[in-house]
Amino acid sequence: MNITFYLAATIAVLATVMVITRANGVHALLYLVVSLLAIALVFYSLGAPFAAALEVIVYAGAIMVLFVFVVMMLNLGEIAAVREAQWMAPRIWIGPSILSLILTAQLAYMLVSNEIGNTGRAVVDARAVGLALYGPYLLCVELASMLLLAALVGAYRLAETGRSGVIKGGH
Amino acid sequence: MNPAFRAALPFFALSATIVVIMLLIAVRRDHRLIATVTVTGLLASLALIAVASPVAPLAVTSMFLVDPFALFFLALVLLSTIAVVLLSYTYLEGTGDGPYDEYYLLLLIATLGAAALLASVQFASFFLGLETLSIALIGLIAYPRSRDRAVEAGLKYLLLAGVSSAFLLFGIALIYFEFGTLSFAALGRLWNAAPGAADLYADTGFAMLLTGIGFKLSVVPFHMWAPDIYEGAPAPVTGYVAAVSKIAVFGLLLRYFVLMGGYRDPSLLRVIALVAILSMLVGNLLALLQNNVKRILAFSSIAHLGYVLVALLAGSMIGFDAAAYYLAAYAVMTIGAFGVVTLVSQPSDGQDTDQLDSYRGLMWTRPWLAGAFTAFLLSLAGIPPTMGFIAKVYVMTSGVGNLLVWPLAALVVGSVIGLYYYLRIIVMLFLPAPGVTIPCVTTRLSWAGGVTLGALLVLLVVLGAYPTPLISAAHVATTGLAMFNNNIHTAANASPP
Repeated sequence: MNITFYLAATIAVLATVMVITRANGVHALLYLVVSLLAIALVFYSLGAPFAAALEVIVYAGAIMVLFVFVVMMLNLGEIAAVREAQWMAPRIWIGPSILSLILTAQLAYMLVSNEIGNTGRAVVDARAVGLALYGPYLLCVELASMLLLAALVGAYRLAETGRSGVIKGGH
Repeated sequence: MNPAFRAALPFFALSATIVVIMLLIAVRRDHRLIATVTVTGLLASLALIAVASPVAPLAVTSMFLVDPFALFFLALVLLSTIAVVLLSYTYLEGTGDGPYDEYYLLLLIATLGAAALLASVQFASFFLGLETLSIALIGLIAYPRSRDRAVEAGLKYLLLAGVSSAFLLFGIALIYFEFGTLSFAALGRLWNAAPGAADLYADTGFAMLLTGIGFKLSVVPFHMWAPDIYEGAPAPVTGYVAAVSKIAVFGLLLRYFVLMGGYRDPSLLRVIALVAILSMLVGNLLALLQNNVKRILAFSSIAHLGYVLVALLAGSMIGFDAAAYYLAAYAVMTIGAFGVVTLVSQPSDGQDTDQLDSYRGLMWTRPWLAGAFTAFLLSLAGIPPTMGFIAKVYVMTSGVGNLLVWPLAALVVGSVIGLYYYLRIIVMLFLPAPGVTIPCVTTRLSWAGGVTLGALLVLLVVLGAYPTPLISAAHVATTGLAMFNNNIHTAANASPP
């Protein structure tokens, strides 16, 4: 049955719509995490458990770290405490929580019924991914390393502070 | 030596240079040393093309094909990059916004991305190469961080690269969904096997793929970003974006289109013809309204991509040759024109000299630069005896041979409109200088910049008056492509209806 696929996909779309319509960045991030988890579930239902795990570790994990950084670095002091109390209000967390609960129930159902790859596609496990990456796709992996290097150097250049310790581009 | 390794040597040389420069930055930041190593690495890669060409065509893994086509365009990209490095050296020092070393790192990574694009025969390597090119370009465009306009242009390019990548990826996903392959050639075979069947997924996939490529080539109607980014980016980087990134993407488009058998689909050809016609007309018409030299050149590059698309539409041997020659001419003229803007500008001003008024009377204050600019502009307009003239004649010939009536009409009309705004800049150069003497009269031309501009000028005239060597090189490069195209044609004709 494809119902798990469509349910997870619907949640991903819903959560992403919520991400781009939230005015508060932290609220948007909450929905972004849900969206990424839903995409991981989509991968899982398509028979790619390894991609699903990577999605959770890399994207949801990294986004969570970003989330923590945003809270820690941008909101210090008394105001932050008040704001954090506001975030505890149910209307903020109830939406993402419900979506996450549905996803959890779905994951539990898929694990119990062993319905991996229920869309009729072949299951691709970690071993197959590794063999492909270090076999035919080896040069692409190397190229991807250069791509990440370019992103790193570009970000470093843009965020670098001058000798005086002041960010140059900002006025 | 392993032939696959030998074929990949030019690419490995580029990658090795990137690693060496990273290590050098860690040990000692020395602008002159790093610029020298960059040029040496690029020259080494260029020399290794000669080592790789005897074994070509050879597939290096299933992702890349090192063939004469890839090597010809790789040589073009490497030479253009060397010109950009030489133009950048003095300019960067002038900005006073150091350190300058990462600039060369980003430039080399962008060139590696372009090289990977040119050798790609498969969607995964195509996408990775394109992303490597785009991400490195964002860093290059925003490199002078103290300029708000440059940072703004970088941000715009970031958003645009994201949008166009989303289109590309969705298109690739739909094509993979339909055909179950990422290889261009396998896609061509599968698509040929099911002729005439209008398939929603496949057609949407092809359309989205062309949209993504259209954004990168800045052809109408995906052109709106080009003027802003050309204006905001530092002049040498603008030359790089205009020349190298477009040559690489166009080379890929040509290969993809031939391998997937695009010439058998009249509707696909009609769409590309429409894009070409719009690019030639809209690009040239909008250039008329501009008073900023960089923006004029941006719209002119939109129109020029339209001209090259006519050569792609022709789809014959002469069409491929014309496209290869046109791109070579385009690289020389574009880098030359932006090179003049680079050398006229005072980088310490915080922006480039790009207002049309500031070029008034340049002929009387800096005759060499103004003379070179005149030559490049005349070539862009397609006046003999320059490369631009031969290139345009070549494209016209290929189009006439294939009865492309409307694109050719647009080409003629576009060229006539183009003449007006190129001549407008030239007239401005020759007008009497304004009463106030310009302070830059005493500025000496930088050594590297002067040599580069001189070399480009010589190429422009020599290869314009005597184009045979370049044309025969282009012919060797495109022969394999044309053979593949003919095979597809004959195979399609031989199959029973």
